[in-house]
Order: sequence, then C-alpha cells, then structure tokens
Amino acid sequence: MAMRRFALLAALALSSPKPAAAAVRVVSSIPTLGSLAKEVGGDRVEVQSLARGYQDPHFVEPKPSLMLLLNRADLLLYVGLELEIGWLPPLVLGSRNAKIQTGELGNLDCSRAIPVLDIPTIRVDRSMGDIHPQGNPHYWLPPANAKIVAREIAQRLSQIDPSSAATYQTNLAAFNDRVDAAVKRWQPMTAKVRGTKVVTYHKSWTYMSQWLGLQEIGYLEPKPGIPPDPDHLFRLIQAMRAEHVQLVLAEDFYNLNTARLVAEKGGAKLLDLPTDVGAKPQIKDWFTLVETVLKQLSSSV
Amino acid sequence: MLILLLALSAAPAQAGQPDGGPGTAADAGPAKPAGSADAGPDDEALRRELEKALGKDAAAAAAAGQPPPPTPAPDPAITGAAPLPLLRGTQSLNPDIAVILDTEGGYQRRPFLFPSGDDPALRSEEGKKSLGFAVQEIEVAFQAIVDPYFRADVFLTIPNLTGLEVEEAFGTTTTLPWNLQVKAGSFRSAFGRQNGQHLHVQDFTLRPLLNAAFLGGDGLRGPGAQVSWLAPLPFYLTLHAEAFSLRGPEQPGPGTTLAPPVASFGGGEPSDLTYTAEAKAFFPLGEEWSIFAGLSGATGVSPGLFQPTDTGVNVLGANRRSYLVGADLYVKWKPPNVARGYNSVAWQTEAIWRHFEDVEGVPGGWDGGLYTQVVVQVDRRWFLGVRGDVLGLPTSSSLGRTLRAAGSITFQMSEFARLRAYLEAERAVSGPSVPGVVFAAVQPRDSLAAFLQLEISIGAHGAHPF
Repeated sequence: MAMRRFALLAALALSSPKPAAAAVRVVSSIPTLGSLAKEVGGDRVEVQSLARGYQDPHFVEPKPSLMLLLNRADLLLYVGLELEIGWLPPLVLGSRNAKIQTGELGNLDCSRAIPVLDIPTIRVDRSMGDIHPQGNPHYWLPPANAKIVAREIAQRLSQIDPSSAATYQTNLAAFNDRVDAAVKRWQPMTAKVRGTKVVTYHKSWTYMSQWLGLQEIGYLEPKPGIPPDPDHLFRLIQAMRAEHVQLVLAEDFYNLNTARLVAEKGGAKLLDLPTDVGAKPQIKDWFTLVETVLKQLSSSV
Repeated sequence: MLILLLALSAAPAQAGQPDGGPGTAADAGPAKPAGSADAGPDDEALRRELEKALGKDAAAAAAAGQPPPPTPAPDPAITGAAPLPLLRGTQSLNPDIAVILDTEGGYQRRPFLFPSGDDPALRSEEGKKSLGFAVQEIEVAFQAIVDPYFRADVFLTIPNLTGLEVEEAFGTTTTLPWNLQVKAGSFRSAFGRQNGQHLHVQDFTLRPLLNAAFLGGDGLRGPGAQVSWLAPLPFYLTLHAEAFSLRGPEQPGPGTTLAPPVASFGGGEPSDLTYTAEAKAFFPLGEEWSIFAGLSGATGVSPGLFQPTDTGVNVLGANRRSYLVGADLYVKWKPPNVARGYNSVAWQTEAIWRHFEDVEGVPGGWDGGLYTQVVVQVDRRWFLGVRGDVLGLPTSSSLGRTLRAAGSITFQMSEFARLRAYLEAERAVSGPSVPGVVFAAVQPRDSLAAFLQLEISIGAHGAHPF
C-alpha cells in the first residue's frame, strides 16, 4: 500500500513538466534580477525571488523552503562573483532540479557579461578580510549594467522558450528605450551629484560611483567583513574632515548607529539607501529603485 | 580562559591592519593617524565616543556568524583601477580544498564514558586527572562538481593525531528525475540532526552523549548508499532510505577497565547491513522563525556488550538485532535583517530510543536518551550555549543512567576562526546491569571537563545546509 502511494506520488512528480503554453518559472537570488526578468519576459514569465529586497544579499539563511521554489524553477538567475556563495549552492543541490544546476540552460550567472570592477591585482588572502577574488558583485544599479543583464536574460529566455523569442527581443528593445529615456530624465540629478565626495559602509557602491562620478574617500569597514573599530573610524573621520566629505552611504539593511556617528563627526550627511527592488514597498522595479537612490543623493548635495 | 577570550575580542581588526597600528580597541592611547593634525583633547573625546558607540552598537558591517560576505577589499592597494577582463577568475578545475583545525587546551577529571571519535582526547587514564593539550581534529576537505551528473565531496580527518580517517567520501547525483537524489560512497547518515554534521558545525566542543551511546563513537557513518526524495508538496518534506555496511568497534585491549558503550550496529554476518529511513520537514513561520523537524529509524545487528575482565573481554548479547527510533527538532529565530542586531536564537533537541531483542542471559528491551540545547547569538561575534544530556530514559541491561550539563561561550573572530570556552559536568548514576555480571567501572561517578578550543579554517569550504 505504502509502495503504491509512493509510486503514485512519484508519478505526480514526474508529470510536473509544464505544458508548452505555460509561463517560464524564473527564480532570482535577489529581487532586482527577477524584476529585470519581468521586464523582458512580460507575461511569459512567472518571477519569484529567494532573498527579500530589504535583506542583505550576503546573508540569506539557506532555508529548505527555498529549495521548493528552486525545485519548480525553469531558470535560476543569480548575481554571481560569489555574492551568494554562502547560501545558494546547498539550495541548488537540494532542489533536485536538473534544469538549474550549473552548466545547464536554466542556470544563469548574470555577471557573465558585466565589466567587473575591483578585481584584485595582487595575490589575495584572508588577512585582507572576506575578500572577493573575482571582483565586486554589486553591479546591478547602473543603467549600462542593467541593460547587459536584461540582454543576457532575454537571450537565455529565448533558448529556454524559443516560441516566445520574438516577444523577448521586442520587450528587451522596449526596456532599453525606457532605460535611455530614464537616463535622460535623470540627467539633472546625475549632473548634480557628479564629483561628490562620499564615504560608504561597504565597498558596495563602486559601480554607482563610476557611473555618477562620486569620489569614494573611505569605508566604514576597515576590511570587508571586519567590523569597524575605533582606530579605523578615527582615521576615517580625520580624512572626512580633511577632504570635506559630504555623504556617508549605507545600505538600508544595516544598523546605522555607527554610520550616523561617523557622519556627524566627519561633518557629512548619512544616507541609508535601498539597493534592491522591494527594499521599500514603493520600490517595485529597477526604474523606481534607481530613481529613489538618485533622488536621495541629489537632494542631499 | 575568559580573560583570554575577552582580550582577544577587544582587538578584532587590528591584528591584520596593514599599517600595523599598535593600538587596540580597548587601548585609549592616541595612535596618531597618518597625515592628520595633532591629536588634541577633542580627538581624545572623539576616540572615547567611538569606542563607546562601537561597544554599544551590536551591529556593524556584514560578516561574522554568517556565510562569508564576499564584498571586495576596500584597500586600494589590492584592487585594480583599470580591470582587465581577461584576469577575471583564475580558472582551475581543481576541487575546492579546505583544512579545518580544531585544537584545544583542557582539563578532564576522568576519561569520558561515552567518547565520540572527534571529541578531544587528552592523555587520560582512569583514576587520574588530566590537563594538557589536544589536537581534536584536522579535517581536509575536497569538493567539486564532477560532471553534468555528479558532484563529489571527500572529507579526510585526523582525530587526535591518531591517523587518517575517511570521515566522508561520496558522490551525489545532481540531475536525477522525479525529485530523486542518490548518494553513494562512505558518508554520515541522515539519521537525526547532529549525526550528519561535522565537528566544525557543532555548537559545543563535544558531541551530545547520545551520539556515542546509540550511533557509535564516529556516529552512524560508513560505506553505503542513500536514496532521497523531495516530496512535491506545498511544504518541504524529504524522505531518505539508506543502507550501510558497518563494522563494529574493536574489542578493548588488555588493561581496559571501562566497558565501552554497547554498539548498536556492525555485528552479525558480513552480509548483515544496517538500514535507516528518515523524514525531514521544514516549516517557515513568517520570515523570522524556522522549524525543522525529523523522524528517523534504523536497524542493524549489535556486536554485543564488551565486558573487560582481567584475562580478556567477555562479549555479552552478541549479534542481537537493534531497532532505533529518533526524533529531532530545530527551532530558530533569526530576523532577515540580521545586520540590524546580530541576534538569533536556536533551540535543538534530539531523542533516540533503542530496542534490543532478548537473548540468552542478556535481557533486551528499550533504552533511550536525549539532549536539548539552546544557542543564543548575543552580539555580532558572541554566541552562548547551554546543553543538557540524559542517557538511560529508560535504562536497560545495556545502558545505565548518565546526566550531563554543558555550557559554551563562542567568540567568532571571523567566518574562518573561532574561539570557544566549554565546560561540562557529568554524573554517571548507573552503568549496564546484566544480571550476574559485574562491570569493573564503579558507579556512580562524577566528572568535570573544561576546554578552550580554537577552530580555524583555511581554503574554500562549501556552504553548509540549514
């Protein structure tokens, strides 16, 4: 009896592959990638995210319930550059989903075409903190990178679901046009912040600094993953005063007491900024995300 | 011990500071910043304020107590201004290699009654106190994806410098249909929760007593195969079935006085396998609470109870079939924005009951045991744990009653190093009680042990499951 029930359940599991007309099930590690997939996939995709937008993407608990989402996914999108290395691999293995294993069509490392910054040029070791050997993974905010990721996703969706390839290409073109229009619309804000001297909590604003021409004077963390200590902050505050740093930037998922104190003592203003779709309820897509960041930046300088 | 812990905690980042600044966080001395104006009284005040703020501020950057946050280094010396895409990633098809060392100094009033293979072994002798050092375990891990169909994990260990052991060496399928996964090789069984975990995942220096009492000193592990299935349900449920070829423990050598715990598995004919089955279910309650529960069963053939005598070892109740039933529960509270407070609480409980058949001269029946533990993350780098163990619920001819209470304070310097102070008090109320047989070890007995454990990890080590 038990065996028959097992066989029945196994048969149910087997019969789960979607009919041709069903939407492609996309699961993204962080919501912004899912949001970009929605832009190019439209109603041809169903999107879910493992992490929440208000969560530090380094620190997601690998809860087994997330394996269920991955188990039913046709396409897994992740940031790559080892951002999710602390939690995603056991989930992918535990998902028992052949389609999304590395090397498969349903596994897309979204960094694959990104011009990566902060690649170490000397031999790294852990005395430098939790250093990232492959470069900085916080690349998804600048428009140029968003376009690259959208293009990669459209390409992959077209391979997984060739019958809708034309739709994906149309949507991608429309997305690119909207990005160009947004960049034009944002021009007064981006021009205003150019050259602003900033201090950031993590070295996670490098790509935005490159796009916007911000000057990064220092970081609250003495080394990646190592908590701030008084000596380091003391030197940082001295540097902030000497350089007339205007802003301290920190992601909104941190406890900002230390950052607030450093900003105050260094004569700068603290901005706690969203970095992901869903960080706040009104941030529903990549456009509102970037616009929110730009508004906060430009209204503070 | 505590003073050492506190002293280390007070100097977290300076140790590796590139400029070699001599100051520590607890050091109020004005380490003059390079290129800054002279440090005046205002600077002193600022410095004190920073120290105070950091002391109070449980949160900070993003790291300890968590998977490694791979943000890039802020040190401009190690980052390139003009990245060369060709340099990206040094491509290597070598497996990830990691070495994890557990070493400690400690005190032990008596040898352990239920020693696990990866417990620290000081030079202990019955009737003598021991004080000294132990290299509890060196683990060497090799992990890689094999091909589009398999991944492989090999963990070699050297427990207490006694020689190389294969803790695990197995392949896992990655692309089987029907939500199935097969594991083959030598591996730790999915029975319960702690059995599947390696030493460096444990929250305490010593494993719970039920590990050695019911599953064997090295846990339930060995050459075998496992099939597991993820049920297509709205919640997470996996079913596992395993078979192992286990070998029972060696008989104790001459001069031994303590009867080792009776082994549940590894006796009988060479063709007698050990079978297990497990179910594991996970329920998220909101975003902060997680409940992970498991039911396990196992059956095998016991090699019997070893009774050391002056002339050798008597074996009592050899080749009896054993039946084990286990239940485990793991409840964790951890907010999704852990960086805001770095607080979490995890409660873990596991119970095992065992049944032996009756044989001539040795009555069978049920015995059992359990442990329960709570680990609280009180600060970014600090974890406090308490654990209680009970063996002999109920007692049987093979197992007496033993109680143990333990506490641990863990200071996690980084994802790759931690220091742990561990203290335990054990009381053996009774021992095995086969009618007409006198066991040499006198009961009851009390024991105390304390360790200061250093655990460090080098190389790339794969993330652990929940």
